[in-house]
Amino acid sequence: MVIVPATTGQMGAELKPGVLSVHEGNETSKYFVSSGFVFIHANSFADIIAVEALPLHQIDANLVQKGLAEFTQKLSSATTDLEKAKAQIGIDVHSAFNSALTG
Amino acid sequence: MASNAAVPFWRAAGMTYITYSNICANLVRNCLKEPDKTEALTREKVHFSISKWTDGKPEKPTLRSDSPDE
Repeated sequence: MVIVPATTGQMGAELKPGVLSVHEGNETSKYFVSSGFVFIHANSFADIIAVEALPLHQIDANLVQKGLAEFTQKLSSATTDLEKAKAQIGIDVHSAFNSALTG
Repeated sequence: MASNAAVPFWRAAGMTYITYSNICANLVRNCLKEPDKTEALTREKVHFSISKWTDGKPEKPTLRSDSPDE
Protein backbone atom coordinates (compact mmCIF):
# COMPACT_ATOMS: atom_id res chain seq x y z
CA MET A 1 0.00 0.00 0.00
CA VAL A 2 1.35 3.40 -0.93
CA ILE A 3 0.26 6.79 0.36
CA VAL A 4 1.40 9.71 -1.70
CA PRO A 5 1.33 13.34 -0.54
CA ALA A 6 0.38 14.87 -3.85
CA THR A 7 0.79 18.65 -3.88
CA THR A 8 -2.63 19.15 -5.43
CA GLY A 9 -4.29 17.09 -2.72
CA GLN A 10 -6.10 15.12 -5.39
CA MET A 11 -4.93 12.36 -7.66
CA GLY A 12 -6.52 10.29 -10.31
CA ALA A 13 -5.54 7.61 -12.73
CA GLU A 14 -6.89 5.60 -15.59
CA LEU A 15 -7.04 1.87 -14.87
CA LYS A 16 -6.01 -1.02 -17.06
CA PRO A 17 -7.13 -4.64 -16.67
CA GLY A 18 -5.71 -6.07 -13.47
CA VAL A 19 -6.10 -6.72 -9.78
CA LEU A 20 -7.37 -4.19 -7.31
CA SER A 21 -6.79 -5.03 -3.65
CA VAL A 22 -8.69 -3.47 -0.81
CA HIS A 23 -6.93 -3.54 2.55
CA GLU A 24 -9.12 -3.23 5.59
CA GLY A 25 -7.27 -3.75 8.83
CA ASN A 26 -5.75 -7.18 8.48
CA GLU A 27 -7.99 -8.34 5.67
CA THR A 28 -7.44 -7.95 1.96
CA SER A 29 -10.08 -8.41 -0.72
CA LYS A 30 -8.95 -8.70 -4.30
CA TYR A 31 -11.00 -7.82 -7.35
CA PHE A 32 -10.20 -8.06 -11.00
CA VAL A 33 -11.17 -4.84 -12.78
CA SER A 34 -11.61 -4.64 -16.53
CA SER A 35 -10.80 -0.92 -16.82
CA GLY A 36 -11.94 2.35 -15.33
CA PHE A 37 -10.73 5.24 -13.24
CA VAL A 38 -9.58 5.91 -9.72
CA PHE A 39 -9.89 9.32 -8.13
CA ILE A 40 -8.30 10.12 -4.78
CA HIS A 41 -9.78 13.05 -2.92
CA ALA A 42 -7.99 15.49 -0.67
CA ASN A 43 -9.37 13.72 2.40
CA SER A 44 -7.79 10.41 1.28
CA PHE A 45 -11.05 8.84 0.16
CA ALA A 46 -10.68 7.04 -3.14
CA ASP A 47 -13.43 6.52 -5.68
CA ILE A 48 -13.00 3.60 -8.02
CA ILE A 49 -15.11 3.52 -11.15
CA ALA A 50 -14.89 0.24 -13.03
CA VAL A 51 -16.99 -1.23 -15.76
CA GLU A 52 -16.49 -4.75 -14.45
CA ALA A 53 -15.03 -5.66 -11.07
CA LEU A 54 -15.26 -9.23 -9.89
CA PRO A 55 -13.82 -11.36 -7.11
CA LEU A 56 -11.03 -13.59 -8.38
CA HIS A 57 -12.85 -16.86 -7.71
CA GLN A 58 -15.26 -16.09 -10.55
CA ILE A 59 -12.51 -16.39 -13.15
CA ASP A 60 -12.41 -19.57 -15.22
CA ALA A 61 -8.77 -20.53 -15.74
CA ASN A 62 -9.45 -22.69 -18.80
CA LEU A 63 -11.20 -19.89 -20.64
CA VAL A 64 -8.29 -17.60 -19.78
CA GLN A 65 -5.73 -19.97 -21.35
CA LYS A 66 -7.89 -20.46 -24.42
CA GLY A 67 -8.39 -16.72 -24.79
CA LEU A 68 -4.69 -16.00 -24.44
CA ALA A 69 -3.82 -18.53 -27.14
CA GLU A 70 -6.59 -17.20 -29.40
CA PHE A 71 -5.49 -13.56 -29.15
CA THR A 72 -1.80 -14.34 -29.50
CA GLN A 73 -2.70 -16.07 -32.73
CA LYS A 74 -4.92 -13.15 -33.79
CA LEU A 75 -2.08 -10.70 -33.26
CA SER A 76 0.19 -12.59 -35.64
CA SER A 77 -2.53 -12.72 -38.30
CA ALA A 78 -3.72 -9.13 -37.84
CA THR A 79 -3.27 -6.72 -40.74
CA THR A 80 -4.75 -3.31 -39.89
CA ASP A 81 -3.67 -1.20 -36.92
CA LEU A 82 -7.13 -1.57 -35.44
CA GLU A 83 -7.01 -5.38 -35.63
CA LYS A 84 -3.58 -5.36 -34.05
CA ALA A 85 -4.81 -3.08 -31.28
CA LYS A 86 -7.80 -5.33 -30.58
CA ALA A 87 -5.61 -8.42 -30.52
CA GLN A 88 -3.15 -6.67 -28.22
CA ILE A 89 -5.97 -5.72 -25.86
CA GLY A 90 -7.02 -9.36 -25.81
CA ILE A 91 -3.49 -10.41 -24.91
CA ASP A 92 -3.24 -7.76 -22.20
CA VAL A 93 -6.53 -8.74 -20.58
CA HIS A 94 -5.78 -12.45 -20.59
CA SER A 95 -2.21 -11.96 -19.35
CA ALA A 96 -3.56 -9.82 -16.53
CA PHE A 97 -5.99 -12.65 -15.71
CA ASN A 98 -3.10 -15.08 -15.63
CA SER A 99 -1.12 -12.91 -13.22
CA ALA A 100 -4.21 -12.49 -11.10
CA LEU A 101 -4.72 -16.24 -10.89
CA THR A 102 -1.09 -17.09 -10.20
CA GLY A 103 0.02 -14.02 -8.19
CA MET B 1 1.85 15.73 -12.38
CA ALA B 2 2.93 13.03 -14.78
CA SER B 3 3.55 14.10 -18.33
CA ASN B 4 1.89 12.00 -21.02
CA ALA B 5 4.65 11.38 -23.50
CA ALA B 6 3.61 8.18 -25.28
CA VAL B 7 0.01 7.63 -26.30
CA PRO B 8 -1.38 4.20 -25.44
CA PHE B 9 -1.27 1.75 -28.37
CA TRP B 10 -5.03 1.64 -28.72
CA ARG B 11 -5.30 5.39 -29.04
CA ALA B 12 -2.52 5.38 -31.58
CA ALA B 13 -4.62 2.90 -33.59
CA GLY B 14 -7.54 5.32 -33.58
CA MET B 15 -9.56 3.81 -30.74
CA THR B 16 -11.20 5.88 -28.03
CA TYR B 17 -10.96 5.04 -24.33
CA ILE B 18 -14.61 4.06 -24.18
CA THR B 19 -14.20 1.56 -27.01
CA TYR B 20 -11.10 0.19 -25.27
CA SER B 21 -12.97 -0.04 -21.99
CA ASN B 22 -15.93 -1.83 -23.56
CA ILE B 23 -13.68 -4.34 -25.32
CA CYS B 24 -11.89 -5.05 -22.03
CA ALA B 25 -15.17 -5.49 -20.19
CA ASN B 26 -16.46 -7.84 -22.87
CA LEU B 27 -13.32 -9.99 -22.74
CA VAL B 28 -13.46 -10.11 -18.96
CA ARG B 29 -17.09 -11.25 -18.99
CA ASN B 30 -16.28 -14.02 -21.43
CA CYS B 31 -13.74 -15.54 -19.04
CA LEU B 32 -16.09 -16.10 -16.14
CA LYS B 33 -17.38 -19.33 -14.67
CA GLU B 34 -21.07 -20.09 -14.77
CA PRO B 35 -23.48 -18.83 -13.41
CA ASP B 36 -21.61 -15.52 -13.16
CA LYS B 37 -21.07 -15.55 -16.89
CA THR B 38 -24.71 -15.59 -17.92
CA GLU B 39 -25.40 -12.90 -15.35
CA ALA B 40 -22.59 -10.78 -16.75
CA LEU B 41 -23.73 -11.21 -20.33
CA THR B 42 -27.09 -9.68 -19.42
CA ARG B 43 -25.17 -6.53 -18.53
CA GLU B 44 -23.97 -6.26 -22.09
CA LYS B 45 -27.39 -5.80 -23.59
CA VAL B 46 -28.44 -2.31 -24.56
CA HIS B 47 -32.01 -1.16 -24.95
CA PHE B 48 -32.89 2.08 -26.56
CA SER B 49 -35.74 3.90 -28.19
CA ILE B 50 -35.12 6.05 -31.26
CA SER B 51 -37.42 8.55 -32.87
CA LYS B 52 -36.74 10.61 -35.94
CA TRP B 53 -37.83 14.21 -35.92
CA THR B 54 -39.46 15.85 -38.95
CA ASP B 55 -40.95 19.34 -39.08
CA GLY B 56 -40.19 19.84 -35.42
CA LYS B 57 -42.22 16.81 -34.34
CA PRO B 58 -41.04 13.36 -33.32
CA GLU B 59 -42.27 10.39 -35.30
CA LYS B 60 -43.24 7.13 -33.66
CA PRO B 61 -40.26 5.77 -31.74
CA THR B 62 -38.67 2.45 -32.53
CA LEU B 63 -37.40 0.28 -29.69
CA ARG B 64 -34.17 -1.60 -30.13
CA SER B 65 -32.49 -4.19 -27.99
CA ASP B 66 -29.08 -4.93 -29.31
CA SER B 67 -26.63 -7.56 -28.19
CA PRO B 68 -23.10 -6.39 -28.66
CA ASP B 69 -21.38 -7.30 -31.86
CA GLU B 70 -17.61 -7.08 -32.29
